[in-house]
Amino acid sequence: MRILPFEYAVRNLGRSPARLLLTVGGSALVVLLVLTATGFVNGMQAAFVTSGRDANIILMGSGSEESIERSEVSMQTSGIVAASVPGLIKRAGIDAVSPEAHVAIPIKGIGEEGTMSVIRGVEPPAFLVHDEVRVIAGRPPRSGGNELLLGRLVARSMGFDPPELAIGTMLEIDEDPYEVVGVLEAEGGVAEGELWTSLTDLMATSQRDSISCVVVSMDDAKPADIEAFAATRLDLELIAMPEVDYYAKLSAFFRPIALMVLVTAALIAIGAVLGGLNTTYAAFASRVREIGTLQTLGYSRQAIALSLIQESLLAAAIGTLIACGLGAWLLDEVVVQFSMGAFGLRIDAAVIAWGLGTGLVLGVIGAILPAWRCLRLPIAESLKAGE
Amino acid sequence: MSTPFIQCRELTRTYTRGTERITPLDKLDLDIDRGQFVALMGPSGSGKTTLLNLLAGIDSPTEGELLIGDTPVHSLSRGRLAAWRADHVGYIFQLYNLVPVLNAYENVELPLLLQSITRQERHRRVSNAMEAVGITDRHKHYPRQLSGGQEQRVAIARAIVTEPDLLLCDEPTGDLDRETATSIMDLLQRLNRDEGRTIVMVTHDPATTRWADTLLHLEKGRLLEHEEVTT
Repeated sequence: MRILPFEYAVRNLGRSPARLLLTVGGSALVVLLVLTATGFVNGMQAAFVTSGRDANIILMGSGSEESIERSEVSMQTSGIVAASVPGLIKRAGIDAVSPEAHVAIPIKGIGEEGTMSVIRGVEPPAFLVHDEVRVIAGRPPRSGGNELLLGRLVARSMGFDPPELAIGTMLEIDEDPYEVVGVLEAEGGVAEGELWTSLTDLMATSQRDSISCVVVSMDDAKPADIEAFAATRLDLELIAMPEVDYYAKLSAFFRPIALMVLVTAALIAIGAVLGGLNTTYAAFASRVREIGTLQTLGYSRQAIALSLIQESLLAAAIGTLIACGLGAWLLDEVVVQFSMGAFGLRIDAAVIAWGLGTGLVLGVIGAILPAWRCLRLPIAESLKAGE
Repeated sequence: MSTPFIQCRELTRTYTRGTERITPLDKLDLDIDRGQFVALMGPSGSGKTTLLNLLAGIDSPTEGELLIGDTPVHSLSRGRLAAWRADHVGYIFQLYNLVPVLNAYENVELPLLLQSITRQERHRRVSNAMEAVGITDRHKHYPRQLSGGQEQRVAIARAIVTEPDLLLCDEPTGDLDRETATSIMDLLQRLNRDEGRTIVMVTHDPATTRWADTLLHLEKGRLLEHEEVTT
């Protein structure tokens, strides 16, 4: 099949700058929407996947319905676990047994009214158990000092970019002043959306007398050993759950939200495509006589359709590239707060590929129907158009 | 006696518009020899344009046969008709129908892009066609930068660039002033006499028929009169 020169498609774009602007703008908005939705889902999944370690087991209260925030565990549990379960990781004399308190509490200084945030009270073994967590600026909080280690995303959501600028900031937790002394990063895990403080300080501030869970890291020990410990120490009222399973369940819990976000984005995108079809049809319909002329010269319908699709694809590609550029620049790591903490939109190669794919579909689908409507006319009738 | 170049046998075209059945061409029998310059006249609705469209292969007869050269045009599929048009037909429109985003050179080159020839050969043929119609100095101009007469010359160059057997003209001077129309008709006559091209021209203007060698009158889809024109 002989096709029309590519310049024909390129030059046709310049025929109506207003129409070109509409098409490019419309495509960019649709692609941006798709990037936001897929970046949201991607970021959410990545946070849960990164947070779970195969070697970690969470011990939480048996009546907690497998929710750390609702869980209550005795303060003595961590010491008993360390003494009773052999084969746990031990480094520099420290057992990889991390007693933790997870409290969702409004923190003044984050947002106008105080934003509900997850604060995690920890002791030094936390950094041994959660080896994905690294202090990227400042230092870990000391006990008794009302100090905070801010998740990287929390610092960014507070407007600190780079996040280390947050160091020295004073925040108020339940009327107690806390000072930010460091910033942590956790390979995209949920800890990046949390604030970490000393377990003792958080217990005092929140007036709790029990912790939320104990997280242990296994070396030679098997999950069954820890499950057996939980099952035999009925006085401690514990259940043991692999950390990976915990975050998988959390991920499953939030899956309907992710699905809703994707469906909403898809519906809006379809609406935008239908709107865009009108613009494209108007552009092609104004050239029906020219299309008839090209057919009279000997160009086949397929060749002309291909040129019209090239034209539409070009406009969509411009919009798509703009959207991908803006998405990577403005949307990546935008913080999304949710009840369990926060995660960042993740605009990675896969998400960009979705954006590019959407642009491709927009360009092709957006042209096929209008092109078909213009090309199905008999040539003789096309030649009379506009007379 | 040689076989006519164009042979129409009981050529019929019928349309249905709503419940109405329209027959702009009704069992037309017509022969046109190679190298003839035929002017088609007749009132509106007489079937002139329908006949021109059938000859061009942009419409298909409902009944009858149409042979052009050795090709049974009436039985060609849509795809084969497109290829046949590209090789054998040059079409000149009343309103020129140039592609506005292409310059004069590119407009003339457009039909050649359908042929398997080298870029140099394409350039040679475009230059020859533009020279033949006298617009070599306008090759970079876009249609909006040309006068009506110049646009029609570009359109004629586009029609002859493939060296087609058949030139079809739909009121080629209908939108031009008298002086420009005369120069365009002189050009068509030169293409007919010097290069031996067969030309079929639809016209409303009796003044333009003097350039043709044969005048056909159509009425209600039938041939009314067939006369030789003496100039």
